[in-house]
Amino acid sequence: MNKTILNSTIAGVLLMGSLVHAAPLPAELVMGKDRSWKGKIIRRDGDWIEFRSGTSTKPIRIGVSTIKELNFEVKINTDRIAVLVENREFERVIDALTKTLKPFAEYNDIPSNLSRYTAVLMEIYYLTKQYDKSLEISEKIAEDDRNLELQTKARVYRTLALIDSGKSDEAKALLSTYGWDKETSADAPPEELYIKAKLMMLNGEYRKAMGVAAKVIVFHSQDLDWIQPAEMLCAEIYTELGMYDSADEVCRQILVLYENTPEFDQAKLLKVRIEKLRADQKVEDSLKSNEA
Amino acid sequence: MMFAFRSYRSSVQVILLLASLMAGSVFAQDYSSMGITALVEAADGMLRQGNYSGAIPALKEVIARTLELNTTPGRKTLQSSRFQLARALFQTGDSPAGMKVIEQYLDAEPRAQAQERLALRMMAQGYMEAEKWEKVAEFSGRLLETPNLDKENLLSANLLYGQALFRQEKWKECIKPLAYTAKNSKDEKIRHLCQTMSARALVESKQWTRLFRLVRSIYRTDAKYDITLNITLMQAGKTLFEGAAEKELEEGKDDLLNALFLYRMVLPREDLIGYANQRMAGIQAELDKKTKIGIKEMEAADLKNEIATIRESVAILSDLPPYEDEVTFRIGQIYAEVKRYWEGYVLFDSLYEKDRNSEIGEASILQSVLVLYDVKESALAEERILRYLDEKPNGVYVCTLLSMMMRDNLTRENYGGVTQLRPYVDQATQSADGEEQQIKANLRYMLAFGYFLKREYAPAGDQFTIIIDQYPESLSREDSIYFRGMAYMMQANYQNAMTDFLLYQEQGEHGEHYASAMFREGVCLFGMEQIPESEAALTKFIDTFPDNVLVSEAYSIRGDIEAAKDGNDNPETPDVNEYDPHTLDRALSDYRKAIDTSDVPLQAAYAAFQAAKVYKLEYKWQEIIDLMNYYMNLLGEKADVAQAVFWIGQSQIELGQVEEAVSAYLDAIERFGNDASQEGIDKIVIGLIEIADRYLSEVDKQGLVVQINIKLTSITPGADVLKLRLLVTKARLEGEEAAAALGDELIASKQALSTTTPISLSLMCDAAVMAGDTVQMGELYDYFVANFEESGQLWHAYRARMVQLLAEEAYAGVILTIGEAQDLFGVEDYMGWAQITKADTLYKMGDYEESEKAYNTIMGVPEWRGGLYAEAYIGMARCRLATQDFETAHSFYQRTYLLFKGYDDGKWAADGYLGAADCLVRLGRNADAVKTLDEMLEDEYVNTLPQTDTARELKKKYGDA
Repeated sequence: MNKTILNSTIAGVLLMGSLVHAAPLPAELVMGKDRSWKGKIIRRDGDWIEFRSGTSTKPIRIGVSTIKELNFEVKINTDRIAVLVENREFERVIDALTKTLKPFAEYNDIPSNLSRYTAVLMEIYYLTKQYDKSLEISEKIAEDDRNLELQTKARVYRTLALIDSGKSDEAKALLSTYGWDKETSADAPPEELYIKAKLMMLNGEYRKAMGVAAKVIVFHSQDLDWIQPAEMLCAEIYTELGMYDSADEVCRQILVLYENTPEFDQAKLLKVRIEKLRADQKVEDSLKSNEA
Repeated sequence: MMFAFRSYRSSVQVILLLASLMAGSVFAQDYSSMGITALVEAADGMLRQGNYSGAIPALKEVIARTLELNTTPGRKTLQSSRFQLARALFQTGDSPAGMKVIEQYLDAEPRAQAQERLALRMMAQGYMEAEKWEKVAEFSGRLLETPNLDKENLLSANLLYGQALFRQEKWKECIKPLAYTAKNSKDEKIRHLCQTMSARALVESKQWTRLFRLVRSIYRTDAKYDITLNITLMQAGKTLFEGAAEKELEEGKDDLLNALFLYRMVLPREDLIGYANQRMAGIQAELDKKTKIGIKEMEAADLKNEIATIRESVAILSDLPPYEDEVTFRIGQIYAEVKRYWEGYVLFDSLYEKDRNSEIGEASILQSVLVLYDVKESALAEERILRYLDEKPNGVYVCTLLSMMMRDNLTRENYGGVTQLRPYVDQATQSADGEEQQIKANLRYMLAFGYFLKREYAPAGDQFTIIIDQYPESLSREDSIYFRGMAYMMQANYQNAMTDFLLYQEQGEHGEHYASAMFREGVCLFGMEQIPESEAALTKFIDTFPDNVLVSEAYSIRGDIEAAKDGNDNPETPDVNEYDPHTLDRALSDYRKAIDTSDVPLQAAYAAFQAAKVYKLEYKWQEIIDLMNYYMNLLGEKADVAQAVFWIGQSQIELGQVEEAVSAYLDAIERFGNDASQEGIDKIVIGLIEIADRYLSEVDKQGLVVQINIKLTSITPGADVLKLRLLVTKARLEGEEAAAALGDELIASKQALSTTTPISLSLMCDAAVMAGDTVQMGELYDYFVANFEESGQLWHAYRARMVQLLAEEAYAGVILTIGEAQDLFGVEDYMGWAQITKADTLYKMGDYEESEKAYNTIMGVPEWRGGLYAEAYIGMARCRLATQDFETAHSFYQRTYLLFKGYDDGKWAADGYLGAADCLVRLGRNADAVKTLDEMLEDEYVNTLPQTDTARELKKKYGDA
């Protein structure tokens, strides 16, 4: 099937009920003191939007800065998205979500209920190593304090994207801004521990990193979002420490437990690297023993 | 726990309700007179009105009349009536009779598809309520085999079938229907129940990968709080964990891992109970709300039943003994076992921190320390051990932890880390617990070795004594006797040492150190100067153990004994001829054997160079050359080549082969000079310079410099150590100024210390002192001491360190440093600076008495005669001056200018004149002072020095007065 047609089909699958909107866009307008009106957004005009409430026939102009929140009527099949994500069909999710959210793009700067969907994009961009795009989204959500859970998630992905795109100094600064640079306690959230361990590893503080990453494994083993990347991180740190048996063991466990995940693929690659490192070490040892 | 759920959205009653909708209507009548069609209609009508008991006789009548009919309509009527009769019987509470009729229905033909499916469901459901699981499986299985089954029946059939198989413990078989139901049911409760049952079935059928996949999906939902599921996982984990030890390595490892994954998913009890309470409160609230607006009895019963089920689970969970810590501990053990050390450590550490006093807490500290040693985190391990020892001096694991820490420190050769534990060992070994005698003796033994290896032989001996006296049954007792002997020997307490070595030998020949004890006996006798006895003991040892590793040393000592014999007749016994012309021959023979039997290079080197000394006594230069060549050939790369070449060069000089000696030295420098650890090369450099100074003409010396220049230009890139050695050799051949200039250059360019050796370091130390660069002085001292502590040039480093400390006015440190330097180098001619600075420093510290003594010591050392003597006199005078003893001070000043006029161009004499005049003034003898100043101005040794200006001024001042 032609790829474009295929993607359109998928977008159709993900959208239930309301399809791609041409303006006007049905939405709930929330203003200060939680006053709200249901109606349609007609169009945007710079710092103004034109909004027509349900009963009115004539639109009114409202300053963007006075809007507290927009709740667009957009129905997305989140279960289906979850399945696609689970199956690692990331490009399809990105394509579908991007198309679905396109009509709302010009309202991106206004807090809205679309954050939860853009957050999915943020996560997938990160997983597919499109760090700049992930950062673009996470920077916005990280500043939005309407939903603390989402905000924390955005902060986490923002920091991770910075680390993985080689901007570890900026990541460190963020840790401090977010108050995550303090001593790690056992009950610290897994994402905080994970980020710290990752930064420590980048700084070559492998033993410290291992101590922190191990806390994710042992104190958050039921957290399915963070246990997998943390296991992978442990395998990598063990490798850096030259503890190849340990690294190999972690990889083995990842391959048993997390089939069809990014970590599964990474563990397979790491196992190959470990084999190479072991071979190198053998050669080195044999040279040393010959010299001795 | 309850693992049964009635069919999807249905009970028997629901099924019957469905069935009633499919039935026609009938009225109760006098059945015998009614035609069959009317009879059927009457029964149908009653059923529709809910008059089940009324319908029963009618239906029975229809069945009786149609039972024998063979026509299709007749059979249809019969079957339909059977179905309706069964329904009526169920409704009237006579389920057994109803099921019997259904069974007859199902055994006969024809069966309407819809009725048959309902009949099968009813049968399965009926048997489920009677908990007849085989029958449930039979009928639900049949239902499943029905073609074109609708979705609802498919769900119900799978649910019934899955449960039935599950209850029959047909683990593999039940998974498929349960999985289907879990996937397709819209009812969350049913989904959770099926997932829980599937988890159990996967555990029992050991389908781990599928289980972990299932558990992962469960843990994305609230089903993870299911108490039954958690208990299932935990028990499965426990079974696997406990069984793993008995299995083969790989299989056991797999079981451990699977146990780990299961354990990891078990939630803490408080989370489970918390969620269960929340759930019960939610259901109760729903029940209350619905009761107010009217709820069907069946629904109310379901909700109540659900609460009861959860309550039952909570009760089971609450009755379980505490499992969280045990589970955590086991997870930690598995992590450690599969080499995920850090994960294991974090868990054990958290358990210990959680409750340091519990049994599991204490076991955790032990485990955490074991893991830390596995990952070579000794510092962290020790931190934990010491905290435990301080907190629990009588703890269960005190001895074990002490033992681990001591062993680790011994392995790492950190002996201070062993001996620092002495207070804990003393505390731990206080009680006389019989079972732990061996452990305690071992602690003492390790402690003793810590001291011994730290060269603290007295406390080492004390510890060995404790083992010998207090632990007579200890396995270490015999060895302790031997090593106490060693400790005594190292303290030069040869008598006690010998007693122990003899005692050890008396224990029998089986002892590991028997041969060594015999050898040490000879050494002790030698130490006690019982030379003939020592020689006899060593001979006995050599004869008894010719292949022992110590035999080379025995030969060497016996060689030393022979070499020390004077070989002359004893004049006190003129009648006995003691003259022995062969002592040196025998010594040389022993040294040669020592070389041949050597086990380690040092043994051979000692014998070879001792032999060289003996040959030197006899001026046998060629023999020295031959011996050195023999030694180098035998030892190969392990020979101390530099030292051997040095001896060869010295011998060649004596043989007049200066050119060959120079050539040999240059060759050795070039061959071995790039290895900084070959300190003998530095000795050769010094030897070469001595040869050049003594035996070479200026032209030849220049020629030698040119040769070195050529070598420098053709040096291999990267051979930086050799390059620096050649540069130093060249500079020193060119004279002191060139050497000092090179030192300055090396300091200024911050020469990489890794390329330096004692000859360059000494130049750099001196240059740093001259430049007053205290930072470099400190760095050079540290590097020199750390890398070349045996070097004869090390005093340069001590002097630099001393100057650094002086600059920092750290006078106590100065005294300490000088003390160390003097311990190493004594009163060699080049060590005068140490004593004079010591005296000066004591003066600065205000300790005039000790200062004067220190100055006075200089007078007793002939090697320091000269300017140093004069300086010491001036120093003593100053000490007296400081204590206002002007007379004695004057006397010291006077002696200085009288005795040491010529030293250091009259400097000290001039100071003596001025000091003496000053004393006389202080004594009120101004005229004598002026007279002294006059003498000074007339003294031709000093009267051209700058001090004369001061003398003239003073003379003017006091002369006028």
